Amino acid sequence: MILQGKRVALPPAPVVHQQFEANAAATPDAVAVVRAGRQVTYAELDARANRFAHFLTARGVGRAAQVGVCLDYSADMLVAILGTLKAGAAYVPFDPAYPAARLQLLLGQVPSLALIVASPGTRGMVDSAGVDVVDLEQLTDHLARLPATAPDVHVTGDDVCYAVFTSGSTGTPKLTAVRHKGWFNLMNWLKLEYGLHSGSHNLVVSAFGFDLSQRALMTPLFCGATQYFMASRNFDAMMAYRILTQHEIRVVHCASSTLYLLVDWETARGGDALTRLDYVLFGGEPLKTQRLAAWARREGNACTLLHQYGVAECTDVATSYDLAGYWRGGHDITPVGRPAYNTDIHLLDEELRGVGPGQYGEICVSGASVGAGYLGGSGPENARFTTIEVDGAPVRVYRTGDRGRIDQAGDLVVAGRMDAQVKVRGMRIDPTDIERALGRLAGVREAAVVVASTAAGETELTAFIVPTRDELTEDDVRIRLLQTLPRSMVPARFVNVLRLPLSPHGKVDRAALADSLEKQYALSGTAQQPTDPCR
Amino acid sequence: MIADSVRAIWCRELKCDDIAADDDFFTLGGQSVIMFKIQDAFLTELGVEVPMDQMFLNPTVASISAYIESLEAVAP
Repeated sequence: MILQGKRVALPPAPVVHQQFEANAAATPDAVAVVRAGRQVTYAELDARANRFAHFLTARGVGRAAQVGVCLDYSADMLVAILGTLKAGAAYVPFDPAYPAARLQLLLGQVPSLALIVASPGTRGMVDSAGVDVVDLEQLTDHLARLPATAPDVHVTGDDVCYAVFTSGSTGTPKLTAVRHKGWFNLMNWLKLEYGLHSGSHNLVVSAFGFDLSQRALMTPLFCGATQYFMASRNFDAMMAYRILTQHEIRVVHCASSTLYLLVDWETARGGDALTRLDYVLFGGEPLKTQRLAAWARREGNACTLLHQYGVAECTDVATSYDLAGYWRGGHDITPVGRPAYNTDIHLLDEELRGVGPGQYGEICVSGASVGAGYLGGSGPENARFTTIEVDGAPVRVYRTGDRGRIDQAGDLVVAGRMDAQVKVRGMRIDPTDIERALGRLAGVREAAVVVASTAAGETELTAFIVPTRDELTEDDVRIRLLQTLPRSMVPARFVNVLRLPLSPHGKVDRAALADSLEKQYALSGTAQQPTDPCR
Repeated sequence: MIADSVRAIWCRELKCDDIAADDDFFTLGGQSVIMFKIQDAFLTELGVEVPMDQMFLNPTVASISAYIESLEAVAP
């Protein structure tokens, strides 16, 4: 089965920052970014980005290089990103809310990291990475002497524009790269298909490391609209809602779980800022429609909810579905809809042959959005990018590892993963990544991490630990894990076990562990006798 | 006492009946969703707006209570 996206011609050079430059030339005085009441115009942002691009070019940073950006959401972040693109390089986002040890691990994965842009508030976290760290504030005088016009760098649609970390099946985060033409195609599709325009002002509510955040950052600048940032390092529903109430925001991109929090906030207090939005574009995890149903049906709700599906390896979004169709009924699983422009969805069996109508297969993506693969990746991960034959012609596809089918209305439906990866509050997490971190802790002989749903319907991680000593407590393990992993990856529950159950193939039997969850006691703050899930 | 009210909210949302003044929120198993509920409770029950960043910076009953008291000291 193939689901074909509409074919829409791209310009000869589909280069993202050139679209921003065209907007800056057309409306130089339009406001590009607002944070804590401070505005920066398109002309000013463009000039500052040009100066930073000259700075990079003078240091030999150009095509095939990567620039790390470890900043809070700010005009400076956009200067760093746009300047990097103008110099022909790709940027890599580093979320300053991550623990320093995690940032070090991620930084070590970037193959051609030229330098890192940081601020006085973030540089301490990346200073010891052995890579030059530059601070735009300290560079102010130096940058002021550089030209405010764009440097003469030839960038093509095939050049890499950004790379983000995704969980890899080997347990090490992978740096997946996307190209200008894929990113351009994505934003061009949003602009034309959904009519985004220079009034489609946006509020960023997602964490910087997410692939969806890259789209949330650039789409308003691509459309000539204004970007609003929260003056907050962590997602803050209270602050987000206040900005939505006070400003003419029209669009929000977020993970499903973030949308629930915003909807809960509005429902509890009876506002209407969310219902007045034009669009919320969301997805990234199985949708709990019951969390949205009452709000969505509110009288006068003008907000279109676009439920989207995609993978970072294929430029973030592959398909989109207007949830209005779901409320009309007849669906068991919420569809994710139809492909983006110039993007096709293939449902393939294990032999990479198309499955029949209505049958489940592995979701594979082809077209403009297929990315440049994993940077620095030499191993099996890149095998997920492969070539299949369609009507006698070779087509490059990315195998997502997600299972799906086409429903009767012709929309894509996603039903879980083909492998062990899980989604916890929108983050694609590989439990083996957490198991490795646990395994490095003193007192832990072996560990297995499984995902299960709580009674409240939240997805939660539980770690089963075989301790080497009796006094291993939940607090102790959690404190040490918080030093090395993002909070989203630290399990909610820890259970001591005598040994891990094995499947007939000799692998850790996660299903048995999940089944045993109910029978186990969570560790309390004190020493506890390990139990044996194999009994 | 603000600290008593804060502790009661923490105990309820963290489902934990024994929280010391200097216990760390994340060590107690706290996550962002729970923090959101606590922020909501501070606003609804105590009438104070506590930014999420402050909750991260003050992850104990003692320090977040001190922060809330500092807010009330400057309130009209």
